[in-house]
Amino acid sequence: MIARRDLAARVASVEDLTRTCFRLELTCREPVVAVPGQFGMLRCGAELDPLLRRAFSFAGVRQVGEGWVVEMHIKEVGKGTTLLRRLAPGARTSLLAPLGNGFTLAGLSGGRLALVAGGIGLPPVLFAAEVLAAEGRPFDLFFGAARASELYEIDRLAAATAAVGGELGLCTDDGSRGEAGVVTGALERRLAGGREIGRVLACGPDPMLRALGRLATARGLDAELSLEEPMACGVGVCLGCVVELEDGSLVPSCKEGPVFPVRRLGERWRS
Amino acid sequence: MTPDLRTAVGDLRLANPVLTASGTFGYGLDLEDLCPPERLGGIVTKGLSPLSRRGNQPPRIAETAAGMLNAIGLQNIGVEAFCSDVLPELRRRSVTVVVNVFGESPAAYREVIARCERAAGVAAYELNVSCPNVSAGGIEFGHRPAALASLTAACRAETGKPLWVKLSPNAPDLVGTAQAAVDGGADALSLINTLRALAIDAVARRPVLQRGYGGLSGPAIKPVALRMLWEVHRALPSVPLVGIGGIETGQDVAEFLLAGASAVQVGTAVFRDPAAPLRILGELERFCAAQGVAAVGELIGGLQWL
Repeated sequence: MIARRDLAARVASVEDLTRTCFRLELTCREPVVAVPGQFGMLRCGAELDPLLRRAFSFAGVRQVGEGWVVEMHIKEVGKGTTLLRRLAPGARTSLLAPLGNGFTLAGLSGGRLALVAGGIGLPPVLFAAEVLAAEGRPFDLFFGAARASELYEIDRLAAATAAVGGELGLCTDDGSRGEAGVVTGALERRLAGGREIGRVLACGPDPMLRALGRLATARGLDAELSLEEPMACGVGVCLGCVVELEDGSLVPSCKEGPVFPVRRLGERWRS
Repeated sequence: MTPDLRTAVGDLRLANPVLTASGTFGYGLDLEDLCPPERLGGIVTKGLSPLSRRGNQPPRIAETAAGMLNAIGLQNIGVEAFCSDVLPELRRRSVTVVVNVFGESPAAYREVIARCERAAGVAAYELNVSCPNVSAGGIEFGHRPAALASLTAACRAETGKPLWVKLSPNAPDLVGTAQAAVDGGADALSLINTLRALAIDAVARRPVLQRGYGGLSGPAIKPVALRMLWEVHRALPSVPLVGIGGIETGQDVAEFLLAGASAVQVGTAVFRDPAAPLRILGELERFCAAQGVAAVGELIGGLQWL
């Protein structure tokens, strides 16, 4: 396991992805090594309000010259994310990373790997897609959003899937691009069409993840969900971000997750 | 000259006045890679009960302006797991360990202490009689002076080690409960626990927390904590105090010492910055050096009141 550290970071760029979402790239001098699904706790500013850091899954980590660049996609929803959107290149911040457990990319025994993302749940899915593409391991990817203007990074997703001969399935709730309807519907149609799916890796809004949890449970599919819970510390001491497991226990998502196999999760995620 | 950071809470000598607050630093080793516990004055464990506890249903936390609410519900691994799996390593590292004790009855509090007494490595106990987030135990003792005196006396009978009582800021009579804890045999008082508070989701028209109310912590509560600490110090000047409440900087520590604390606990700041206790300790040292304070003991109770 890679040791977590509180990394000194500088803003490399802030760039709009959609009307509400933006890409934030940070540069760190110390090495950043993370697997898709892992996250970091990012300081929003130097002041006491907002008090807490914000948790973001990585969309990618790469070495550039002497430094390491960490890519995050962030939806502006409140004071902290508004401050982050206004950061200027060169601004200093700190990133506690890498944290949590990522997706299981290896060890697929049969069938295809399906990556599923909804809205701002794309970052860990994009990260997984680019890692898999670089390693030449096939997968299909399904990405859904409310409308066409909220689908983003399509070129990168198309390149990653094309590199391994996989399908890129786009969906919008209003039918303005790709298949009309929710992204889980697209996956169900592939299954109904006879596609063998060996594992599903997913990140997105709760209703999407719960639908996938039900689908995976009903069909006995191996599936992993990256959950989003409000976090204070990100390192397992505040016990604020608990998720209920199948045995009824409540465990911190930051430490035991944020990626959980569906079979470990409680009823909420499976029925 | 390097300031002398040593202090003492009653008979308990500490290498420096900065400890971690219960519920913010796990059991002492959870963040050892980011903040080595042996470099602190001590650690206060997550509240330990006789058996493990599952805690409250989420959502358990809500961020507020310069603060946060929590309603964790004393989720913990239980005293047995702590004594067998964690305490030996804390002892090996010479960490000063204060066990925060919680029970739903006086017998349960005694049971936790009795189990720790059979182990080695506990420096002191802190009775949690002020958690606002559980339905049984805790506050029913912390808000009623007679019950608190009796609970403290029952715990006193179990140990000769320093016994601290962590006071509730929500009690109707702060000084009365402080006096009751001392009457029951407490060696020191720590204050304050979180302030009972409410966060509302206006769109959903519901409380943010599943439990409704929660406890407010963070820099927002620091002035309240300082006021309460000073009130108790003025009323009971000979009782050692441990200050808690929104400490974020070394200068904050100095303020608590001036108000009468012999040591402090850093809590919510750890969530912002896991190494905050060490950073704050460094800042305190520099504050003392800059102010010509040769030893932190000079600050304790040194507030010049009007």
